[in-house]
Parts: sequence; structure tokens; C-alpha cells
Amino acid sequence: MRGTHMTNETSTADKAETTDETPGGTKRPGRTARHWRAGLLRGGIELRHLLRNPKEMSGHLSNVVVALLIGAYISDDVPGTHTPMAHLVLAGFAAYLLFQIGLINLPQILVTEREEGALLRLRATPGGIPAYLIAKCLLVVVMATGTLALLLASAALLVDGPLPRGPGDWLTLLWVTTLGLLAVVPLGAAIGAVLPNPREALALIMLPTMALLFTSGAVFPITSLPVPVQQVASVFPLKWMAQGLRSALLPDSARAAEAAGSWELPMVALVLTAWTVLGFLLAVPLLRRAARRESGSRLTARHRRAARSGAMPA
Amino acid sequence: MTRFEHTPVRPVIRIRDLTMAYGAVDVLHGIDLDVHRGEVFALLGPNGAGKTTTVEILEGFRQRSAGEVRVLGADPERGDDTWRGRIGLVLQSWRDHPRWRVAELLTHFATYYPDPRDPAELLALVGLTDQADRQVNRLSGGQRRRLDVALGIVGRPELLFLDEPTTGFDPEARREFHLLVERLARDEGVTVLLTTHDLVEAERLADRIAMLVGGRIRACGTPSELARRAAARAEVRWTADDGTPRRERTADPSQLVWELHRNADGPITDLEVRRPTLEDTYLHMVHRAADGTDEAADREARAA
Repeated sequence: MRGTHMTNETSTADKAETTDETPGGTKRPGRTARHWRAGLLRGGIELRHLLRNPKEMSGHLSNVVVALLIGAYISDDVPGTHTPMAHLVLAGFAAYLLFQIGLINLPQILVTEREEGALLRLRATPGGIPAYLIAKCLLVVVMATGTLALLLASAALLVDGPLPRGPGDWLTLLWVTTLGLLAVVPLGAAIGAVLPNPREALALIMLPTMALLFTSGAVFPITSLPVPVQQVASVFPLKWMAQGLRSALLPDSARAAEAAGSWELPMVALVLTAWTVLGFLLAVPLLRRAARRESGSRLTARHRRAARSGAMPA
Repeated sequence: MTRFEHTPVRPVIRIRDLTMAYGAVDVLHGIDLDVHRGEVFALLGPNGAGKTTTVEILEGFRQRSAGEVRVLGADPERGDDTWRGRIGLVLQSWRDHPRWRVAELLTHFATYYPDPRDPAELLALVGLTDQADRQVNRLSGGQRRRLDVALGIVGRPELLFLDEPTTGFDPEARREFHLLVERLARDEGVTVLLTTHDLVEAERLADRIAMLVGGRIRACGTPSELARRAAARAEVRWTADDGTPRRERTADPSQLVWELHRNADGPITDLEVRRPTLEDTYLHMVHRAADGTDEAADREARAA
């Protein structure tokens, strides 16, 4: 038993001597495969923990329930069309749920895990940071598609909610969802990298997100809002995500209620792509900086502050 | 065993003239240090002496201001994944992965390494077999730290950093932890760098101790070397004829006692010869450097 250990060690030591001269030069085959495997395994385990956590699950489910209740309660049509108002609201909620996963749930997860030291541990582990990113992407994609599917399916079954009609609509649903996630996830990661701690994080992100929910035309027709508000809201991705989803879920006759009288799909693609690019430009350096700055003493200092504010046992 | 032989192999950690400044304030003033393969080395010092800064430079988490540092033959600032895989860390403030189960977490971290230890054997080694299915946030402080050690060594590191590992342990947990570290070093040849402000722990575990006070290494050697150095000046205490307590420090206590007896009429009241312990030397050094240290500590805390 001990004999084998010793030989193991000498062989590692020998390898080490050669690595010394060319750090990183001895890239062993299979290392990238190992990162992917670790990342996917990690994502799977995190998903399982999410599904088994009643508190967090109820948070996600309550959003869907609220959307369904509103959908069931509203009975009039979108002004000037024969489309039920409930459909517009449900499409808007679908967009908001994606938006929320990227810009509220994701930053919160990142800030919490940074504070607990998971980021530091993965930084100290070979291939830990790539695996972490892979796991988080998997988690976000499954959370988003799961929530969206649940919302649309339960709405269709329970409150006669909208569904895409025909392959064209399904395709629109797919690309708007994908591009919408790409627009908000890197941005959320960037926010998660700079926010100070989980307690302040929620307050800092919640307010602007709620403001956008009500000004982006997600829950009532955007044309009923003052023009300056419409203009401000159209800078942000939520308006375009909601508009894109409406085009996939609502009949073409509902275009009459849109500000431009059409779905403006090219503009949807353009704005969401712009946010995607901006998000990546911000997220990559900010995440790298966040990982680089992690160290034991910073972690201790944060825990001490948290303990002082009474949020965490010392 | 090999750990006591002088081998021509280069040291696992080699530090030459390491300095660290936060802004205009120097925290480390030119440290030289070698740690050899298979050695348990303790970096001992009061809070704020620069221990954490030194160790974080070695771990590659902090950029030094100047000086030469080699850890496992590489500069930690440019350590790649292969280098990372040869190092294990046990920090005091980890609270990560609270929802994971013990065995699940350990098995997962084994997947990152090319030649990991068997998670089940490792759980047995750190005494957590019974807690394998428990959620990490339900572990006691001592169990959590032992899990951290298991995570630190799952990739078979050649060098293990232990940062104040037994803070907050009860005596039994502390003893078990010490046995575990000894087993790792003695049976598996892992080099251990331990930081602590606990002298008893350093004396118990370390082959060599460096005392870091005020950003300088004030003493370095085996525990017995340091104790011998400490014993150079003993303290003699007695009560004089007029009833006042007296004390005197001397290199030759026997001489002093003999002189006392020669000058006295009879037995000397409350005569006592005290050989200073390692602790006395340590405290003496800490106090001597106290002014500078406190200042440096404040600045280090602020900078961090």
C-alpha cells in the first residue's frame, strides 16, 4: 500500500520537474474532457439540489402561479383587437421570467456562492472555474426552459393560455428565448461579479427589475404608457423579449396594439444581440477579476462583516 | 525516514527576500525561507504579523511586491492548472457547498484531478464515514474542517496549506486533527505548511517552526532548537530577607543561586529557577516587536 504511494509520488515529482521549465506546456490529453465532465456533473447535482429545495422551488413556482391567476382573472380583450388581454399578460410574464432568471436569480447565486467560498475553492482546483461556468450555464438553461414550458403548458391547460400556432411561431419562440437568455445571462453574471453581498444584492437588483416589468409593456399594452417611458423602456431588453414572445404566442391581428403596429422582429433581434455583446464584454473581465480577487483573507473579512451585521453566525 | 535526510532535491518552497507593501506600508520586510519535501513547517506569529499575506503569496492568490518565490519549482503568480493540482488548501473560512452531501461533494471534487484518492477511503481517513450522507451545513465545526482537509488532499497534493486549522475546536477534535496531519506527513510524505498563532499546536506538529513577527522572521528552527535558544536565559526568583520578592534573569542560574546561598545565613525563601519555555521566547519576541506589529496589522487589515 505504502510502496505504491511512494512510486506515485516520485512519478508526479518527475513530471513536475519537466513542467517547471515550461509551465502549461505539458497539456495532458483529456484535461478539457475532464473539465466538461466535471462541469456537467456539477450542473446536474446543482439542479437536483434546486429541485429538492422547497423554499427555492416555491419561489420559482409562485411566479408561475401569479401569472396563471392574473391570466384567469382578466377577461377583457386587448384594446382594438380580439386577442384576450390574458394572452398578452401571459406572454409578458414568460418574458419576465426569463429576464428574472438571468438578472435576479443568477446574480444572487453567484454572489452567495462567492461569499460562501465556492468560487475560491474552485479557483484553487485545477479546471474549477471552467467547470463552474459550464455548470451555471446548464443550470440557467434548464431553469429557463423548465419555467417557460411549465408556464405555457399550465396556462394552455388551465386558463386557455396562448401557444405558438405553426412551425414559424415555434421557431420565433425558440430564437427569441435563446437570444433573450443570451442578452440577460452574461449581464446577470457581470452584475453578480460586482455586487457586494447577497443581502444588499437583492435590494439593488429588485427595484430596477420591477420598474422594467411595469414599463416594458410586459403586463399591459405598452401603448397605454407615456411616450418618454416607452422610449426609456425600449433601451432595455425586457420590452423586446416580451414583444418577441408576443409575436410567437399571439395571433398576427394583435399587432394592432403594438406601438409600431408590427412585431418589429428585426429590431428585437438587433437590440437583444446588442445586449448580448455588451453583456459578454462586461462579464468576461468582471468575472475574471472576481475570481482573481478571491483569497482566504477576503473571505474571512466578508464573513466578519456579515457576522457583525447579524446575517450569518460568526 | 526520508524526511530527516538531507537530500539534494530543491526545496518545495523557496523564498528569497520577499517583500510586500500595501501602498506605502511594508507588511513583509525581506523574508527568506526554505521548506523541504515531507516536512511539516509551522509559520507562527500573532495576528497581523504577515502570516496570511505570506501564505496567500505562496498559494498564488496575491501578487508580491518584490523578491523571489518558488513553490514546487514554479512562480505561484504564474501557476497553471497542473501546478494547482499539486497543491491542497485548507482555509479557515470556507462555508461553501452547504447543500451538498459530504460524500457527494468529495466524489465530485475527485473528478477534477487526474489521479484522485478514493473518496470512501478518504472519508474513513478523516473519520467522516458516518456523516457521508449528511448535508454539509449540518456538520459540526470540527467535522467541517476535516471535510475541508479531505477536499484539500483528494487530488493527492504534494504540498498542503493549513490555515489556522484548529481555531474553535474542542480539545478532542483538536487532538484528532493533529493525529490526521501527522499521519499525512509521516505516512504519505505530504509537505505541510501550517499557519497558526497557537504555539502548542506548532510545537506538537511541526518539524520546524518559523516565528514571523512584524513582517520579519525572528527565529527559525526545530522546536528543540528554539527551546534551547529560549533556555539560554533562565529566571531566578526568591524572597529577600526584608520580605520583598526578587527576580533576576541570568545565563548561569546555578552560579547565581550559589552566590545567593553564600551570602545568606540560611535557606533562601521561595527560591525558584525557571527555564523559560518556547512560549516565553515567543511572547518576548512578540512584545519586543509589538509597536511595529500593531501598526502593520492595522494597515494589513485595512488594505485587505
